[in-house]
Amino acid sequence: MTLSLDFTLNGRPCQAEAPAHWTLLDLLRDGLALHGTKFGCGEGVCGTCTVLLDDEPVRSCLVLAARIRGRAVVTVEGLDREGEPNPLQVAFAKAGAVQCGFCTPGMLLSVRALLAANPAPSEHDVREALAGNLCRCTGYTKIIEAVLAIAAGR
Amino acid sequence: MRLRPFALAEPGSVSEALEVLSHLDGEARVIAGGTALVPTLRLGLVAPDRLVSLHRIPALTDVRVEKGALELGAMTTLATLARHGAVRSGWPLLARAAERVATPAIRSTATIGGNLCYAEAASDPAPALLCLDAQVRVADRVGERVVPIAELFTGFYETAIAPGEILTGVRLPAPSAAARSGYVKFCPRSAEDKPLVGVAALFTLDASRRVETSRIGLGGVAPTPIRARSAEATLLGQSLTDAVARQAAEAAAAEADPLSDVVGSADYRREMIRVWVRRLLVALRDDRPIV
Repeated sequence: MTLSLDFTLNGRPCQAEAPAHWTLLDLLRDGLALHGTKFGCGEGVCGTCTVLLDDEPVRSCLVLAARIRGRAVVTVEGLDREGEPNPLQVAFAKAGAVQCGFCTPGMLLSVRALLAANPAPSEHDVREALAGNLCRCTGYTKIIEAVLAIAAGR
Repeated sequence: MRLRPFALAEPGSVSEALEVLSHLDGEARVIAGGTALVPTLRLGLVAPDRLVSLHRIPALTDVRVEKGALELGAMTTLATLARHGAVRSGWPLLARAAERVATPAIRSTATIGGNLCYAEAASDPAPALLCLDAQVRVADRVGERVVPIAELFTGFYETAIAPGEILTGVRLPAPSAAARSGYVKFCPRSAEDKPLVGVAALFTLDASRRVETSRIGLGGVAPTPIRARSAEATLLGQSLTDAVARQAAEAAAAEADPLSDVVGSADYRREMIRVWVRRLLVALRDDRPIV
């Protein structure tokens, strides 16, 4: 059983076909060859598959592809502007918030959702927003520094 | 890792969904947000031939106050409950419990109906809904029945909802404006976990500050979320002293039926019920934040 899906992907109209049992993550990685979004735990815990759906963070490994009809999906590939890294990505690089990089796409999208809803978050707000994005390299300190730096316009 | 293939029905109304469910061969599952069902599918714990998704039924995301009662469509997300103005002002206990579930990217997707149908013993919203005397609306092809929340959970991951029925909504009467209520979630490891013990409480005091009505809901301490009825009874008519709070906590620990698992032993769970029921009651009495 194949579904035909019309949606917005990283700001552009997109039309794709997907088997009914595909998740949004299956569609992104295998249907559309957007490999920035990672498969981690497959059960919604690790956060590396986080993308935005109508501006809200979701676990793409848990959302059926059928759910995106008529909606707007943003992945890490949608963050840069004509090949230039977006300020969030620059802030992560400057703060040394990236080591192996596997968690980074999900982190960036969780942060983007946070800053859209709350442009001046406290450290507590940042920790809450990133509670569902696991990183086994950095110990989180530099990630939180990067988010606070961009919120402060530094 | 892919999910095992299934067919997907996306009905546009509750009646169409009920119709689809009644005509299926093989195993079918209703899917709401999918945050509980999709991992279960991935692990192969259930292997339905078809899913019936409720996401195209606009009426199921309605949130409205009707004659003083809160009416929630089953597909209302936990994120919506946590930020909705009418919920936060009139039913703050529910908003607080919804806000404590997992993480932002789960709350954006997980629904109140899905949470109740999954019947997780350590649900955060369920103890709050037990305190708020919620009723769930359950539809079948003949009509609708209303199930008090205390009768919804029938066993470990089991509910009173029969095959062919759909939980369509939740109704909450308005709590007294003077009610004090709160939810505390105790996680020994990490804040986004399911609670080892979750405690919701709601009570009112009379003019002489004696407990007039009381509700205590517990999660994670029995095969289903439960109301701690003997703890509630301990409070009635009493002045809520530290000693009375301790007696109620003792009663709650005695009526719980905790499991031992990787998160904690049954003894530890019982001890944490004693601690957190007492602390929550005292904090609400004193209008203090829960430490």
